[in-house]
Amino acid sequence: MRSFYIKRIISIIITIILITSLTFTMMHSIPGGPFTRERPVPDEILRALNEKYNLDDPKIVQYFNYMKGLVTFDLGPSYSKIGTSVNEMIESGFPVSAKIGLIATLLIVVLGIPFGIISALKQNQTIDYVVMVLATLGITVPSFVIATLFIYFFAGKLGWVPTFGLSTPASYVGPVLALAGYSLSFVTRLTRSSMLEVMRQDYIRTARANGLKEFSVIYKHAIKNALIPVVTYIGPMIAAILTGSFVIEKIFAIPGIGRHFVESVSNRDYTTIMGITVFYAFFYLIMIFLVDIAYSLLDPRIKLKEGK
Amino acid sequence: MDKNKFEFVDQTGEEKETIRPSLTYWEDAFRRLKKNKLSVIGFVVVIIIILFGVVGPYLTPYTYSSQINEYKNLGPIIEVHEVDGKYFHVSKDYNMFLLEEDGTLIERLNLNPMDRDMINKIYTYTLGEEEVILDFSYNLLPNKQGYDYDYTIEYNGEVSKIPSGNKFNKLFPFGTDNLGRDLLTRVMYGARISLLVAFVATMVNFFIGVIYGSISGFEGGRVDNVMMRIVDVINSIPLVIYVILLMVWFRGGGLMNIIIALSSVYWVAMARLVRGQMLSIKEQEFVLAAKVMGVSKRKIIFRHLIPNAMGPIIVSMAMMIPSAVFTESFLSFIGLGVSAPQASWGTLANNALSGLLSYPYQLFFPALSIAFTMLAFNFIGDGLRDALDPRLRKG
Amino acid sequence: MENKKEYILEVNNLKTSFYTHVGEVQAVRGVDFKMKKGDLLGIVGESGSGKSVTALSVMKLIDTPGEIKQGQILFNGEDITSYSNRKMSNLRGKEIAMIFQDPMTSLNPVFKIKNIMTEVIMRHQKVNRKKAIEKAIEMLDLVGIPEPEKRINSYAHEFSGGMRQRVMIATALSCDPKLLIADEPTTALDVTIQAQILDLMKDVAKKLNTSIIIITHDLGVIAETCKDLVVMYGGMIMEKGSVEEIFANPQHPYTKGLLKSIPRMDREQKERLLPIEGSPPDLLSPPKGCPFSTRCPRVMKICKEKEPPKFIAGENHLSACWLLHENAPAVEGYNKGGEAVEG
Repeated sequence: MRSFYIKRIISIIITIILITSLTFTMMHSIPGGPFTRERPVPDEILRALNEKYNLDDPKIVQYFNYMKGLVTFDLGPSYSKIGTSVNEMIESGFPVSAKIGLIATLLIVVLGIPFGIISALKQNQTIDYVVMVLATLGITVPSFVIATLFIYFFAGKLGWVPTFGLSTPASYVGPVLALAGYSLSFVTRLTRSSMLEVMRQDYIRTARANGLKEFSVIYKHAIKNALIPVVTYIGPMIAAILTGSFVIEKIFAIPGIGRHFVESVSNRDYTTIMGITVFYAFFYLIMIFLVDIAYSLLDPRIKLKEGK
Repeated sequence: MDKNKFEFVDQTGEEKETIRPSLTYWEDAFRRLKKNKLSVIGFVVVIIIILFGVVGPYLTPYTYSSQINEYKNLGPIIEVHEVDGKYFHVSKDYNMFLLEEDGTLIERLNLNPMDRDMINKIYTYTLGEEEVILDFSYNLLPNKQGYDYDYTIEYNGEVSKIPSGNKFNKLFPFGTDNLGRDLLTRVMYGARISLLVAFVATMVNFFIGVIYGSISGFEGGRVDNVMMRIVDVINSIPLVIYVILLMVWFRGGGLMNIIIALSSVYWVAMARLVRGQMLSIKEQEFVLAAKVMGVSKRKIIFRHLIPNAMGPIIVSMAMMIPSAVFTESFLSFIGLGVSAPQASWGTLANNALSGLLSYPYQLFFPALSIAFTMLAFNFIGDGLRDALDPRLRKG
Repeated sequence: MENKKEYILEVNNLKTSFYTHVGEVQAVRGVDFKMKKGDLLGIVGESGSGKSVTALSVMKLIDTPGEIKQGQILFNGEDITSYSNRKMSNLRGKEIAMIFQDPMTSLNPVFKIKNIMTEVIMRHQKVNRKKAIEKAIEMLDLVGIPEPEKRINSYAHEFSGGMRQRVMIATALSCDPKLLIADEPTTALDVTIQAQILDLMKDVAKKLNTSIIIITHDLGVIAETCKDLVVMYGGMIMEKGSVEEIFANPQHPYTKGLLKSIPRMDREQKERLLPIEGSPPDLLSPPKGCPFSTRCPRVMKICKEKEPPKFIAGENHLSACWLLHENAPAVEGYNKGGEAVEG
């Protein structure tokens, strides 16, 4: 078990280094790009950049300086927002995205899993049909279509929610729905098919043959097995949701980390692009790590070995 | 009991189990696919969309970039007032238009800045020698409240308060955008771009993924280990990030760049899948037989293994296409897509965002196009998955 | 006057079908048999003969799209035919237990053996957890699991196939059921383990005075373990009686065919093994008359028209074959002329 932890942490560190190096190389190799002296940049920015990373230094030195900063979780100054550091942007943006993300995750788990189970138990009956149709729509209709339809009807026409921002509790409904739409549908479908698969298994027949009450057969024997693939999905899903969808934050004008990323892309704010990318990667890898642990707790057949 | 019933009978074998003619894997799959109503619908929709994108632009009198400024921001359905035999329309930005009875636009009326009475909220337009007066003070000025209508149009002495009806915008069936470009044409071009990107990216991903996965799975051992390690590392962060980074690195959009970016990243899923298939198929005996007969590795991979793995590969490809459509739309939506005035559906959606509440149709047409395309491909993918699943074979 | 309680299980005219989208699959088409207490009964037949479905019907474990169409099931004198699932769940595991063919997939992979067994024990008996664990260990010991106090904390995948089957048997017998149904208990196991498991079952049956039904396609297993025998084909019973009688003097072409197709010690070395020609009937549209008529080497006109009744062919020996009718031609190996009986 311990060797698993160690090996995984090493793997995460190596991956972060690789990703960072990749982004660093890419950003620094843009001809006429930001990190050369050729580009006309406002003086303050140039000063800030120079303070952190001497632009006259050879690339390798700049690289090491950046990596050094990384170890202390310092991602440098923003390239386009004068006086702001990338860390500050992440610190202001992440909690906003995370809040919406957590609500969305809660919705997904509390709605998706039970509905998936109900659908499986009442297979081919009306409720199954209804749930499956909704779930199929949720998967195929892109999140920004859901978001814009929502704004148009509930904000524009009905005026029930504000058209943008997070001022009132009601204003959370739109972003949460749009963010959760796809995953909620996916989890419902996954739970359903997993449950159906498990109910067909021999060990369920054994449980019934041993006279166990139907309640126990379904909610104890079947569910624990059925949830295994669902947990595997939910882990990375949480990471993706918590870091906010770029599109949704843009549409609803939410000052989350996703929007910062999009803006930094439009503004060609290279340091921020690099910083947020590294942050995303790090967060994502940690979540996968946690999922693998949870997975091993659920399924005793999995012996945690190195890597995945 | 009749004694002669107890005579022996020859087993004629007429009741031997009838053997139905057995179908090949593909025939059986095709048969099952045809039965699946949803995937048939999906196919039909996809064909329609392809025709829409490929043939459509030739059938409209506009190109995707031709701007007719007078007609900007007009929707697909026009509210028309009939006044003294003539038909008028007032747009949200207070432009007055003259139309034919069937809804075809004739011209935009002239409005002198001096003819705008902002105090009384009365605009006077000119139609040749005549005047058309718009009074939109109703429900706006404090002394004019509680009316059923918000404006009146006066022409030749007659006044129209309530619209006489809604007409389809014959010149621009999908309406126009903020630069007066025909939305229908742009959506058609958008279909071209979105589908082109999706298909090409998927094909490239297919090739890279299949070759990579086949080699990895077939060789096994250290080669497989190393190759899969690389895939694992790439996969350890969401692939979208790479695409965005690549697009930034390419310094902006452009059709070629998007295709390259998408093609260089999403092959990993296919490679994984193919490798998995290889690992399970190569243990089967017909492969051993081929090896023993001295068939070359390349031939084994391409002639024996890959055709047997085609089932899940095809399903995977069918599901990659809507995913590519979505990713491309999404990139365009955040500003990393094709460059103006070219438009993919994502760009159209992006452009429409600011005017969403006033001109929702500008967003709905591209958004629904994306949604329908993805829905259709998803149905096809689901149908293919069921049809190609060997466990469901009945034939 | 028969004492109903003499029989642990009585099945009368059982008909079970599966209503699929291609039609009604008649898996069991009229099965009658009685089993005495303490007996070791074997039900033999090919795949598709309806033997497993019969057992599942007795346990009322037939799930949609299947349904018991007709018939009566009496367990220990009690008519359980129309018992609801809830009522049956009180019987299952406690009075009637069943073990299945594939031990690899029949144990829930995410629970420890301890939890699997104690749940069953505490469900049917008013004991606390400590006592339940003790009982579970006792049962594991009984079935021959070494170091049961340790191994009870293992998961299913940590046992070999033979061990898992023993665990299944231990669980099934933990509440001391009156009847144990074993559906192909040894088919998925190595031949050497097979013998062990069969011996174990015989042993335990004697110790706990449990009646056992063994369902199998393997006549060797029947010969080894059972006292009485039911031969099924095409959803119906072809022949039934004591193993001794039937093996010595089979009175049905199908049974004769089965016996000819297995190697036997008492045969001449030069005799060939004869397979039975043809394939099992299509249960979607079963043939009229005797189900074996399409493959029988001695088929007569009447066989294809009417289902044969059961003729008395000896003491505790019934056979459903028209060759035993007095009007049938005399054929060597068939004692015709017996009375036709019901059930």
